[in-house]
Amino acid sequence: MISAQDKILHVANKLGLTSLKDMQASTGAVYDVDTELSGTIFSQASRHANPSVTNINENQFEVNEALLVETVAFYVKDGSGNVVNFQGVYGSQAVIVFDLIIGNKRTIKETPVFAAGSPFTFANTSNQTKPLGGDLLQCFVPRHQVYMEGAGILIPPQIQWYVQYTIFNVITGDIIAPTDATALGCYLFGTKVNLNFNTSI
Amino acid sequence: MSQVSKLSFVDGKLGAPTSGQQTTRVLFNTIENPGTTSSLTFFRSFQGLTNGQTNLTQNKLDSMESMVIKTIWLAQFFSSGSLDTFGGFVQQTVSIIVGNQTVVKNLPIQFNQGVAGQAFDRLHENGGTLNQQVNSSATVQNVQPAEIRLLTDIVIPPQVAFEVRIDSNSGVYGSGAVVCALAGYGKIFSAGNSF
Repeated sequence: MISAQDKILHVANKLGLTSLKDMQASTGAVYDVDTELSGTIFSQASRHANPSVTNINENQFEVNEALLVETVAFYVKDGSGNVVNFQGVYGSQAVIVFDLIIGNKRTIKETPVFAAGSPFTFANTSNQTKPLGGDLLQCFVPRHQVYMEGAGILIPPQIQWYVQYTIFNVITGDIIAPTDATALGCYLFGTKVNLNFNTSI
Repeated sequence: MSQVSKLSFVDGKLGAPTSGQQTTRVLFNTIENPGTTSSLTFFRSFQGLTNGQTNLTQNKLDSMESMVIKTIWLAQFFSSGSLDTFGGFVQQTVSIIVGNQTVVKNLPIQFNQGVAGQAFDRLHENGGTLNQQVNSSATVQNVQPAEIRLLTDIVIPPQVAFEVRIDSNSGVYGSGAVVCALAGYGKIFSAGNSF
């Protein structure tokens, strides 16, 4: 298993980013919501409110900043601006099929994220609810994440990236269209490289 | 041997290309209205399925693609959309056939989904309650999909047919749909500087 730091340095070396190794290693996450309902996330982040919708000003990192994507997760931003669980809004039969595009290259291909709870997400959070006309019972809040296996994927500095997605009904195969009250959000989490001026200023 | 090394090792033995974009790969396939049957085979039929029901068009990977299976994921849905326990509560087994070789043979799955609470791995929650009741908007989930984390990496090489077979004694799979996903590490075609 290649470590996160080794992977970052390997890609940086391939791309000729000789100064990336001198920057501050950290942990980071970027998020955005497809409020335009366009089927892409992050591509229009520059128009979105910060931090209620996104935490980036544009969908590329500045000089000497990078993110090794180790987890991709999806959520829903409802009409009140709340972050809510995807299954709780769309139901268990929904499935997100997404690509992660970095530059002009597709790095994650047609990957499903099941509302019922995706592969890799063993440790689900339990919750209690009272169904209509029923007793209080235990239920699950499924997780909608992809934990990268084997190797994370590096988003290099100054390269645009975005997530392209479609939501389907896995039973019928029909497309489910999001609305303003059910806009899909995504975060990318992993090892981050932050710009560090220690040796230059 | 790590999954990255194993995939390179097997691809090398087969003479398959070892270059390509490394990624996390999830393959899935749906069977609509499976009913009651003793045998289900996933990744055999793709006819009439949309991109929301499968992400393959044939039961093999492209010529420059390969993957390592780390996890088998199985789910069953009522036609109403809510999740059900896979195959009811009866014991079932899963087999994975790659090429003409059975690489996972009659592995029991029932322990990993449910009410017995005896999943193979230590991280799994107990998988659900006996109570299947959901509220009127069907947004409450009382069960989880069945999932088995494999201890040995299973490689699907490029352009080799594979399938997943579920055996039972008259398993009840209902009139909704059943879904199988194989998740793990893989390589996808990358043109690089070759075009």
